[in-house]
Amino acid sequence: MLTDAEIVAACRSGDAEAWNLLVERFSRYIYAISVQGFRFSLHDAEDVFQDVFTKVYEQLPRLRDDSAVRPWIAQLTRRTCIDRMRSQSREGASVDEEAVEPIDLEDVVAMLDEALAIRAGLETLPDNCREILDRFFARDESYRTIADALALPAGTIASRISRCLDMLKSVLEDSDVPLRPVAG
Amino acid sequence: MDAYEIDQIARLIAALPPAPVGWVTAAQELPQARRSLDILIERAAADAELKARLVADLESALAESGIAPTPRNLDVVRQRLRSV
Repeated sequence: MLTDAEIVAACRSGDAEAWNLLVERFSRYIYAISVQGFRFSLHDAEDVFQDVFTKVYEQLPRLRDDSAVRPWIAQLTRRTCIDRMRSQSREGASVDEEAVEPIDLEDVVAMLDEALAIRAGLETLPDNCREILDRFFARDESYRTIADALALPAGTIASRISRCLDMLKSVLEDSDVPLRPVAG
Repeated sequence: MDAYEIDQIARLIAALPPAPVGWVTAAQELPQARRSLDILIERAAADAELKARLVADLESALAESGIAPTPRNLDVVRQRLRSV
């Protein structure tokens, strides 16, 4: 798996596939910051999402440290979300007061940073494990839906999920990914 | 195995649901869209009639050129036309 720095370097040299990888790697993160951290509607989150990737595309050549792309994208996303809220306030749009002052934004972003580390571990698992864990936990699909999609007996899905989680845990322990308790 | 740790891992996987596919595709197509805009602006710089058409009805002119007239693309072209 390419590192963030390798993807950024390849993007800079005009590698289209690297740009696709960069979008894939950070799309969930940007989406989650705007929806979970700022409680944006899907409409607002979509605008933020496209604005952030536009800024990433335009400003990537000026990024000083390729390995710092994740915190840089997090910062770009937060600024874009805040700009959007300010703009809506100025236009007199109805703004959710709680959304204007996101609660525990730092905690949400820290949690999403950890989630991104977990996802990096997930990416190293065999395809069948990655797929089943992503479908069940991230896509919230039922055993039946997963079984149909992957042509597996529905009765085996729970045990497969358990085995894949064990495998992921081992991968994370071997890679020393720091975990901390997650509230909620 | 510590159940809490497994639970924690599960929660963290769930914390990053996929963004809608259309959003991701649009972001991945950004470099191509920008190249198309670059070509259009270059043509406008050399062709006063095209530039006038872009200024008069940017949305239609973009669509005719095969470029999606998204708010973002419209903004980019408007900004760049000012310096052409």
